[in-house]
Amino acid sequence: MQTIKLTSNNHQQVLDQAVAALQKGELVIYPTETIYGLGVVATDPAAVNKLLQYKSRREGKPLSIAVSNPDMAAKYVMINDQAKKLYQRFLPGPITVISQGKNKAAPGVESEFGTLGIRIPDYQLIRAVVKKLGKPITATSANASGKKRPYTINDILDHLSNKQKKLLGLIIDAGKLPPNQPSTVIDTTLSTPVVLREGQLSTSSKSTTKLPSAQLISHSEQETQQIAGKLMLKNWEKLKKQGLVIGLDGPLGAGKTIFAKGVAKFLHIKETITSPTYSYLNEYDYQRGQTSGKFYHLDAWKLQDPAVIDKLQLNKLVQPKNILVVEWWEQIKSSLPHKQPLQVSITESKLDHPRILKIAQTN
Amino acid sequence: MTKKLSPILAIDTSCDETSTAVTVGTTVLANIIASQTQLHAPYGGVYPTIAKQAHQENIDQTIQVALKRAQLSWSAIQAIAVTQGPGLAPALEVGIARAKQLTTQYQKPLIAVNHLEGHLVSIFAQPRPQNWRQLSAQQRLDRENHYLATFSFPALGLIVSGGHTEFILINQLGQYQVLGQTIDDAAGECLDKVGRMLNLGYPAGPVIEQFAKKGDATAFEFPLPMTTSDDFNLSFSGLKTYARNLITKLETANQLDQQAVYNFAASFQKAVFRHICYKLNKILKEQKWQTNSPKQPKTLAKPSQNNQQLWLGGGVAANLKLRQMLRATLKPYKLKLQTPYNKKLCMDNAAMIGIAAGFTLQRGKVVKAIEKLQRRPRYNL
Repeated sequence: MQTIKLTSNNHQQVLDQAVAALQKGELVIYPTETIYGLGVVATDPAAVNKLLQYKSRREGKPLSIAVSNPDMAAKYVMINDQAKKLYQRFLPGPITVISQGKNKAAPGVESEFGTLGIRIPDYQLIRAVVKKLGKPITATSANASGKKRPYTINDILDHLSNKQKKLLGLIIDAGKLPPNQPSTVIDTTLSTPVVLREGQLSTSSKSTTKLPSAQLISHSEQETQQIAGKLMLKNWEKLKKQGLVIGLDGPLGAGKTIFAKGVAKFLHIKETITSPTYSYLNEYDYQRGQTSGKFYHLDAWKLQDPAVIDKLQLNKLVQPKNILVVEWWEQIKSSLPHKQPLQVSITESKLDHPRILKIAQTN
Repeated sequence: MTKKLSPILAIDTSCDETSTAVTVGTTVLANIIASQTQLHAPYGGVYPTIAKQAHQENIDQTIQVALKRAQLSWSAIQAIAVTQGPGLAPALEVGIARAKQLTTQYQKPLIAVNHLEGHLVSIFAQPRPQNWRQLSAQQRLDRENHYLATFSFPALGLIVSGGHTEFILINQLGQYQVLGQTIDDAAGECLDKVGRMLNLGYPAGPVIEQFAKKGDATAFEFPLPMTTSDDFNLSFSGLKTYARNLITKLETANQLDQQAVYNFAASFQKAVFRHICYKLNKILKEQKWQTNSPKQPKTLAKPSQNNQQLWLGGGVAANLKLRQMLRATLKPYKLKLQTPYNKKLCMDNAAMIGIAAGFTLQRGKVVKAIEKLQRRPRYNL
């Protein structure tokens, strides 16, 4: 184990030494804009193994990697729109962006689900090391698992066993780091939508043909609820005989839950209809006149896996006298192809303008 | 007064999480949440979703780990508790089916718990003391009763999470009255969704809290919802839509840079919590929660004028800014804020179910017809 003090005029020397040590598969403790990090070449299985020994008790927690720029990141992870925005706005900086990995790092670096955190440290020396190396290095904190956040080299060494110390190759000592928080971790892998992708609404799958769609304008929440009620009245006989599915689409805040409240009102449900985003599926009993049945309110915002549909047992829900209202219909429509929904898309022509409700029935 | 302490094994599978805990009274011996414990190496600290979560696969492992961590065998367990609702029906079903089977196999009484009651009583939880194993049964009982005497009734409850936001009057344990609740989105959901609009991933609520520390909370103004309504209900969907329009405008004008995102996070978080505090203040001002004169609580100390409390539970209860704003709201009314002792107890977890079950068991309320116990996805308090 070698320690080198970082001074104002030895950056080149430190850089060369760090790159040499990393290339040899050694563990390097390095300063960042947050806390001291622990680096090995993230594509070197033997080095990663050594690092996992050092950290101990990580029990499969994934590691993050430090890259020099977004281009290098793109070789290791799939950068979606959300991640791209974060890179533009916050990197280099104290943010770890988790994306779906490309399985290019050594085993144990990516998570069990194949996700991987990317750091671009706001610390020029480290970016230069990674750049010269041409490969990412791990960006885990340098303390042993469960020990104090390391702002000084002593914070680390004081809590290490001799065995752990022997695993270290090089320590870059930049003195006491400013007391910044560890990086904020942002997970972009769950693709919750904000708006529907361009053209998603106008083109439905080829196996279905659409009847001419109706367009209605709503100026208020009350009006949206009234439109829902009218639509229900029109389909009331069908609901009683076959059951009914209404698929709702529209960006966050468009009024999909408001529409569902209108459905519940028509069904004389007294309970408050709240957003089912977190519980996924809310269930209400209704009685309207002589007819009683169930109103199921589903939110597919967080759903992207078709296997989930089985778990939610959705196909069993659509029975005569039952109604299933699905928010973010586009997210799961391919999993319920034969249910012929009434599709309602809620959009605005412009911000703060009246909502346009487009209603279409698939055959 | 508690007369007897019984180790309880509790199971919660209300939504995304699978959790098993072992509790003795209010002492938590083990609180295992599948996604948090490295049962099969999932991403540390990041919340699962139903897509990644298989209750069925995780439940037996959480039970084993919980018993091991509690250093207890089945023979020491006096009762089994399970969340009956509210929650996602198929998820609840997994926990209930397992609990029924264990109840039959080990011949233990079964206690059905309302998940929201669990969040309410999560503030009672206390960690296992160092000398726990050396304490005699009587010492443990004395310790418990001494601790319980520090709580009083009536108390006010506030649950703030991704799925719920509600004010509850607690006349005594087991006697609850909802004073007000959200009529659309929950507060945690609203933070997550607006965070998503700022591209802060999922779950974005904790990121908003971090970013808010770097931002100016006065940079953007948000409306205060529901000021004209006479009730104590809350609404967050208007704030969400307002935030969306503001974000679109800022993006169009190319003004949503790093600092603007920090400022937005700080301002929006404050707006969400201000709405909660506004309604809390309305409840306190109108003294609604005191007029329901409660019967003398059976298990706890007499209410004392100087020891009135707000019990805070749910995922967003971990947010320090929320706690700070609530304390400021409570101060003129001399109420104290009670919070769970760690973050895990704020999330969906089984320890809170075990604690609620302990109180229920004191009242002798066990499930009589075990085979007939049904999940209640829309179970209210």
